[in-house]
Amino acid sequence: MTMKIPVLLLAVGLAGAAAFVGWGLYDVSATDPHLRPTNWLIELTVRRAVARRVSAIRVPPLGEPAQVERGLALFRAHCVACHGAPGVAPQPFALGMMPLPAPLAQTGREWPPAEIFWVVQQGLKMTGMPAWAFRLTDDEIWAIVAFLRELPRLSPSDYRAMAAADTATAPANAGAAGVGDAERGRTALHQYACVACHVIPGATGPQARVGPPLAGIASRKILAGVLPNTPENMVRWLRDPQSVDPPTAMPDLGVTERDARDIAAYLATLK
Amino acid sequence: MRVIAAALGLALAACGEPQSAPPGDPERGRLLLRQFGCGDCHAIPGVAVANGTVGPPLAGIARRVYLGGVLANTPENMARFIRAPQEADPRTVMPDLQVGESHARDMVAYLYTLR
Repeated sequence: MTMKIPVLLLAVGLAGAAAFVGWGLYDVSATDPHLRPTNWLIELTVRRAVARRVSAIRVPPLGEPAQVERGLALFRAHCVACHGAPGVAPQPFALGMMPLPAPLAQTGREWPPAEIFWVVQQGLKMTGMPAWAFRLTDDEIWAIVAFLRELPRLSPSDYRAMAAADTATAPANAGAAGVGDAERGRTALHQYACVACHVIPGATGPQARVGPPLAGIASRKILAGVLPNTPENMVRWLRDPQSVDPPTAMPDLGVTERDARDIAAYLATLK
Repeated sequence: MRVIAAALGLALAACGEPQSAPPGDPERGRLLLRQFGCGDCHAIPGVAVANGTVGPPLAGIARRVYLGGVLANTPENMARFIRAPQEADPRTVMPDLQVGESHARDMVAYLYTLR
């Protein structure tokens, strides 16, 4: 009899979990705030997970005026819309997010630089925080970190004055060309939303059927119905689909040369 | 166990979109796909020696959103693409195989069984 109790508990637990999912009991709406314990658990999970992953990150010197200025330009281009700034509210859409984007003046005060760097670079799953790894260089992310460390010291009028003086435009991520890195390419499949339209072995996605499945793409003779399938043509197709086939539904996702090479290297493994 | 199965059943029942079968004879379409050599370029489940790798595989084609990357996937557009591919996309390597209207309709009827 005693042997049966753990089995019974396990069965009840599994049945409960299945019912929770199957009957749609969990409210996924962003108007329904997390319960206080859930919120506490999420914050703890994030802090612990980030702290565990930053040991290899070497923090460069931070705080040179030129670096902070560059960070300000990047912050204004990429962060302020969701996070706001001293005296500046986030955009209305960001106020509808659950969880709310963190106020970065507090982050700049309380978080170690390596952890801020990691979060900006990697993003946070199941929040609105995107990964910037494929959009910004490490130097650019460090510039943002340097700026965030100054942010808590800025009054709203200080920030307004800095923003008014900032005429620099955020530089584009050039991305050096080289030999394709298949593993990096596999990550890039998510970062350029390839999995939103294609089923791709080795990449988890919504099982979309917008474009053709890419299983066996390395053995396919023709790309997009129009081009011989060579590594160069794959890069060309990924970077500028409309120049290859004007009526195609495949969008130009602004893939850099380097990222296209890496994606092509991964796709070449799908025999 | 029955509760788990029921709950999962409920979850899965929500998946999959209803769709009425297009006109045409699917069984005849299957033979025609063979006769027109479609399998030389496409892998097509259920069609003998259809294992080509020139064009995309046609498994699940009924649920694909676009045809040839350019046309919305409807039975009418599929017949159109089969009959006059270059009209839909001038650069496509898919050849015009002079498929007649009723033949195309039967092929579409079969391809729409591939979900």
